Amino acid sequence: MKMLNQDEEADTEVTWEDQQNINSFSRLNMKIQNLEDQYEEKKKEKEYLDDLSSELELADEDDLVKYRIGDAFVSLTLEACQQRIESEQEILSKDLEEFSSKIDGITDSMNKLKVVLYKKFGTSINLER
Amino acid sequence: MAQLESNPRGIPKAPFVGKVEEFTPETELESTLKKFQEMIAKYKYMEGHLLQRKQSLESKIPDIKKTLDMVEYLIATEDSTEPMLTQYELNDTLYAHAKIPSAKTVYLWLGANVMLEYSTPEAKTLLSQKHSSAKTSLEQVNEDLEFLRDQITTMEVNTARVYNYDVKLRRQRKEAGGKE
Repeated sequence: MKMLNQDEEADTEVTWEDQQNINSFSRLNMKIQNLEDQYEEKKKEKEYLDDLSSELELADEDDLVKYRIGDAFVSLTLEACQQRIESEQEILSKDLEEFSSKIDGITDSMNKLKVVLYKKFGTSINLER
Repeated sequence: MAQLESNPRGIPKAPFVGKVEEFTPETELESTLKKFQEMIAKYKYMEGHLLQRKQSLESKIPDIKKTLDMVEYLIATEDSTEPMLTQYELNDTLYAHAKIPSAKTVYLWLGANVMLEYSTPEAKTLLSQKHSSAKTSLEQVNEDLEFLRDQITTMEVNTARVYNYDVKLRRQRKEAGGKE
């Protein structure tokens, strides 16, 4: 983020409050980027699990599935396997929801800050990514 | 500069410049700018350090979680009479078959070439503790990073404003000089 206070002598005074707003905006901007990265990661993981569970629909019920727990593979019955996947999916869905609501919240407050800051500083400030 | 406040982890707070002309005398603009640059550099250095810590924590947490998962699985199958069938990593990318009769104890690698035997519930407690404390430190690191971001932004705005003020003064001086 840069202040583009050009020669136009738009000597708007920066108050402590403005500084706080600018800081919050910058902080939120960093936070939202982190969250978006994490969200994408979790989403991918969830997709893998979804694929996995549909793949297992086709598996033979009597076969043991080699399921990875930690760094080792454990032979599990199909049922036990599906249970594990299900519970993991649940956790991930919850995480995803949490992330997306956080992201929404942050986007909201960023937009509010944008309005306030643009109103005060006009073209002297640039708040786009 | 006035006395500096700091955050819980002792990172000093950046000074805020209210009115440039009050903050620094005209003759010291350049040295002030230099000071600001130095402070930004210091903050960035701290930021780099913390980012590294964050990365190491972020890789440590899933590791602990993996181990915890396995211990929890062992506890869940403790009472089963069937031995557990597993392919475990004997070496990097090399797996071997193993039959493990229900395990009541496990060995945890504590680091520094030390491994200790734990009962599975104890191992679970220990790992859960490690897991949550790693998460707490990650939160703290994130907090610090946010705090640092605030200070860096403040300093950048300060720098821009002192700089602009300097430019303005120079032009005024030039204009005044031209008239004479």
